[in-house]
Amino acid sequence: MTDLLRSTTFRWALGIAIWSVLLVLATFSFVYWQTAAYLREELAETLRLEVRAAAADPAATAMRAETWIAMDLHATHFGGLFGPDGKRRSGNLDAVPDGLARDGDAHRVSADLDIAGRALRDEIWAAALSLPDGRTVVIAHDTDEIDRVQATTLRALGLGLMPTLALSGLGGLLLAGRARRRLAATEAAVAQVMRGDLRKRLPVGGGNDEFDRLAGNVNRMLDEIERLLGEVSSVGDAVAHDLRTPLTRLRARLERTREQASSVAEFREAVDQGLAWIDQTLAMVTAVLRIGEIEHGRRCAGFAPVDLAAVVRETAEFYAPVAEDKAVSLDVAVEAGIPPVDGDRDLLFEAVSNLVDNAVKFAPPGGRVRIGLAREVKGVVILVEDTGPGISPAERDHVFQRFYRAERARQTPGNGLGLGLVAAIAKLHGFTVEVRDSPEGGARFAVLWPLGKPRGQEGPRDAGAGGKTAVRVIGEHAR
Amino acid sequence: MARLLLIEDDAETAREVRGDLGGRGHVVGWASTGPEGAAYARDEAWDAIILDRMLPGLDGLSVLQDLRRAGNRTPALVLSTLGDVDERIRGLRAGGDDYLAKPFVLAELAARIEALLRRPVDARETILRVGSLEIDLIGGTGRRGARDLGLLPRELKLLEYLMRRPGQVVTRTLLFEEVWNYRFTPKSNLIDVHVGRLRRKLEAVGEPPLIHNVRGIGFTLAPDD
Repeated sequence: MTDLLRSTTFRWALGIAIWSVLLVLATFSFVYWQTAAYLREELAETLRLEVRAAAADPAATAMRAETWIAMDLHATHFGGLFGPDGKRRSGNLDAVPDGLARDGDAHRVSADLDIAGRALRDEIWAAALSLPDGRTVVIAHDTDEIDRVQATTLRALGLGLMPTLALSGLGGLLLAGRARRRLAATEAAVAQVMRGDLRKRLPVGGGNDEFDRLAGNVNRMLDEIERLLGEVSSVGDAVAHDLRTPLTRLRARLERTREQASSVAEFREAVDQGLAWIDQTLAMVTAVLRIGEIEHGRRCAGFAPVDLAAVVRETAEFYAPVAEDKAVSLDVAVEAGIPPVDGDRDLLFEAVSNLVDNAVKFAPPGGRVRIGLAREVKGVVILVEDTGPGISPAERDHVFQRFYRAERARQTPGNGLGLGLVAAIAKLHGFTVEVRDSPEGGARFAVLWPLGKPRGQEGPRDAGAGGKTAVRVIGEHAR
Repeated sequence: MARLLLIEDDAETAREVRGDLGGRGHVVGWASTGPEGAAYARDEAWDAIILDRMLPGLDGLSVLQDLRRAGNRTPALVLSTLGDVDERIRGLRAGGDDYLAKPFVLAELAARIEALLRRPVDARETILRVGSLEIDLIGGTGRRGARDLGLLPRELKLLEYLMRRPGQVVTRTLLFEEVWNYRFTPKSNLIDVHVGRLRRKLEAVGEPPLIHNVRGIGFTLAPDD
């Protein structure tokens, strides 16, 4: 029973029924009130007219009263003519009803009636007037008619209420049952997800109502959870794997050195090698922790206005010697007047330098790396492109995942965390990163800082024409 | 030789740090809890304090803040566990002079302590000389003997940093932080490439070397006379 009371279905049905009953009651009351008032007023008006007509001609008063009484055979009309002493001269009322004002208006009073010789007391509507000679004329009508209307209305209400209650209850049950069935389907799907089947999705109907939108949102949330869990487990596997390799090597080296080394120099060499492997391992652990830290947005506290142009220029300068040693030309094009971005200067430098590091690493000797900062229609873009082997479309979605290394990158040193870090840093700043083919054949990474409106522009440039002008300026820089 | 106070709760770490710094000729006192460390720092004179961020009893930063409030200006280096980057800012705000994240390389710690102990003598000087090397910071030029070195601005900054600390070992991270003014650990070979470039300009064929590699740690500039 408690379950039934608690169930949404029941409560909805009950609520709808109660509401319908209240509506019906209100309608009936209004109709009744209006009808009764009308009837009462109609009767009062008749009585007023009759009593005035009877009083108008004192000689004919008795006759008029008798005519009024005789108009109705069912003993609903009453009247009487009374002497100045209050005695009845004619009519079917025993006396002038107590408390009846002789003002010609209709009042509801209690009166002693004389119907075909039987005396009885009843409620009547009566109007009375005094005649100039001291007599009093009373014209009255019983109240049964109006009371009958009341009784009829109440009966109709009672009769109408039952089907209303039944119909609304049924409607409520149907509506609530429909909602309940959809909820049950959702509940079953959620239960399956809770049991661990993350691939299960909620049923989404064809329409676009609240249920469908909610189910759609929950499904998208599940997609994200599934993706994150997949990433977590693959990161866990990758970390474990990448740690095991250097640790295995280290262990073997230590063991072999302990057994075979015969000089201090040999021991020292082994220790140095061991330290290098440990550093490599620690660097990876640090990078994983940093990505996690950045992804949790814990660094926003250190945000301050950062000059992106300076960051890009300094990154290029930092990599210039390495590129030169490798015979890779490094071109930089930085547009003037880029507004400062609210961000973490160290992280932005790290992100750009990771991109440049990759570009220099993958560009062949004699190749080219281009670094650019420009304002485009969508916002400010940091571009890093190279003439290396590029990234195949199939691999583009994966390169920003932690530990992912493109097939061709397997031979080059790195831990597969660089681009993961770039993605995390970009996300922290509300930037997006994407990778495409560069027109020169290699990879082209673009970090986009979406700007709502051009702001902070320097110089006389018209702010309204900012977008178009910026595109043109990029062109000039590119040449 | 300097008197150093190490406030560190992990006995193994403390042993290694004391052994390493002791081997470099320093005297290292050790306290394993916050209150104990605070008492040592107050009662004795130290040249520098190394303190761990997380300490039993009293937090490392509180110890440092109390010392600073009491007017103690001993240079302090804060050690902290890996992963908290905002920690660095907190450590410096609490009155720390430098900050090092765990796990750290012992040589890095030693080099940073050295840097704390030997703050550059006079930062206002604009003409620096070390042996036959001379740079003019205002003119932006550098000479070795009579030979003009043709230094780029960044190379001049790098050389300035080394020349203000002759004979002192500077690590790659320190160089990157101080010369490039960014804080993270770049790929080590990048700093080496920059230093290598500078070295080629400083040391023409036949000239004795000025910048020396310190294996596994960083570099040092030694006067050639």
